[in-house]
Amino acid sequence: MKVAVIGIGQSLRGDDAAGLDAIRQWQEEHPETAGRPEVRVEASELPGLALLDLLQDAEAAIIVDAVKSSAMPGTIHRINPDDLSAFTSDAQSAHGWGVTETIQLGRKLYPTLKNLPIRLIGIEAEQFSMGSGLSQKVAQTIPALCRTIEDEVQTFLGK
Amino acid sequence: MKTIEVPALARVEGEGGLYIGLEKGKAVEIRLDIYEPPRFFEGFLHGRFLQEVPDITARICGICPVAYQMSSAFALENALGIKIAPQVRALRRLMYDGEYIESHALHIYMLQAPDLLGKESAFEVAAIAPDVVKNALRLKKIGNEILKAIGGRSVHPVNVCVGGFYQWPDAEPLKALLQELEWGLRVSIDSVKWALTLPYPDLEIDYESVALHHPDEYGVIEGEVWSSKGRKLSIADYEKGYIEEHVKHSNALHGHTVDGNTYLVGPIARLNLNHEQLLPNALKALKESKLKLPLKNPYKSLIARAVELVQSFEEAIELVKNYKPEGPAHVELKLKAGEGAGATEAPRGLLYHRYQIDDNGLVTFAKITPPTAQNLPRIEADLFQLAPKIVKMPEVEATLTAEHLVRSYDPCISCATHFLKLKVEDKDK
Repeated sequence: MKVAVIGIGQSLRGDDAAGLDAIRQWQEEHPETAGRPEVRVEASELPGLALLDLLQDAEAAIIVDAVKSSAMPGTIHRINPDDLSAFTSDAQSAHGWGVTETIQLGRKLYPTLKNLPIRLIGIEAEQFSMGSGLSQKVAQTIPALCRTIEDEVQTFLGK
Repeated sequence: MKTIEVPALARVEGEGGLYIGLEKGKAVEIRLDIYEPPRFFEGFLHGRFLQEVPDITARICGICPVAYQMSSAFALENALGIKIAPQVRALRRLMYDGEYIESHALHIYMLQAPDLLGKESAFEVAAIAPDVVKNALRLKKIGNEILKAIGGRSVHPVNVCVGGFYQWPDAEPLKALLQELEWGLRVSIDSVKWALTLPYPDLEIDYESVALHHPDEYGVIEGEVWSSKGRKLSIADYEKGYIEEHVKHSNALHGHTVDGNTYLVGPIARLNLNHEQLLPNALKALKESKLKLPLKNPYKSLIARAVELVQSFEEAIELVKNYKPEGPAHVELKLKAGEGAGATEAPRGLLYHRYQIDDNGLVTFAKITPPTAQNLPRIEADLFQLAPKIVKMPEVEATLTAEHLVRSYDPCISCATHFLKLKVEDKDK
């Protein structure tokens, strides 16, 4: 099974970088998994709709991104993106094209994406300040995040 | 007092809110609130080595990283007295074409068209016209591929440096795009025809258009800063004609001419000032559109973008065909203290940078004037003009009309973060 592992976030904006950092660290800790020919690793700062291009040719995808809910900073969320209602087309959603809305659009338009299994690993962020690096609570969670990524990748590879 | 409030605007890059206070059929207060201007980056650049600047400023905007890279690279090259090689210049124009293609395709089809088609979002457009949205995504992807082939990666390209490019991109992946580029040219010509069929709200404004003008081409990089009121300034003298000031309700600075007037930057301003320099296919599409210039209706910036989409594909084809890297990809830097300004035309309008550096090439001063900061007072003035009309509308329609006006400017009002606002729906309940 061809698995795309995609880290998303702005590297200069505090905890927004957690997805990118986690992907890099997972690659270092698990070179035998990350280096397998059926595994493709992507780190993308602000893909927007180009996320659909990153999903191309994949048979399963894992997306790692910072999230903001009411949970404690550093909390790891394992989510099926189709369960998310983060995008509503009303004026409350200021971000042009977020992950869930992009996936929803892709599922609507392209047969190959319609049934693509996608796991979203979210890490609860504390702050998104310019140039501040990761918060302590988020940084401490990166090793656990790497284990979660490895776990999800192995689950797909075993299928 | 009746008010119209949009706490967070949809379909704009970043976050912003809109407040309109109406009294006795007139707008008494209008505020376009800005949460996070690129201003923060200026402080962040202090003490950085100049070669880091293009890479850092590229992160200000997820939609137009190339614009920030280019304006900063030109400014720092001017500070060091460097002249870039002709092939470097051609490649930078090609990168810019990629960015215009991406940004304009997104705005035309996914951000503004829903307003004109009476749809809430591109999802609804996808439901009634999936092929239109698929074409938009394919157009956008071509722009992305250009950036990937030159820049090393598509979002926040890494190959641009002060002095040129770190290395010449391989010709093969660029030439491989020609077929898609030819398709894009055909589809973009159709986009202009399609754009003309859309129902634009009536609004006529006598803008002062400001854009770069280049003697030899449709101005995007280098040239002079021209105004439709006749003001012509070198890029180095930009601040002699245009100033920024703080206004109470916004973190962002607001731009004015030195005479205290608002002015317009962006596709309408460019087209108004430079339309005669469009390439043959773009010029033909413009002529066939029978569009009356100067363009005065902000909503019709969509048509201006569509014409520029043709221009970008046409220019990209020419530049890819002629791409022959030779000589060094960048000039070796000789560091010295100095000051330099640079400006290029971001998809949203003129983007000006000025830097001071010390003998070691470290930044001691940075000034970034983004297009949206220049357009903000103009957007507010447009809303004042629109107010008597929207006062008579039901609230939902009034809000949409005002929002649509703001969106038609394609404002980029923050260095967008990318976190996900998490709200899980329990479908069993």
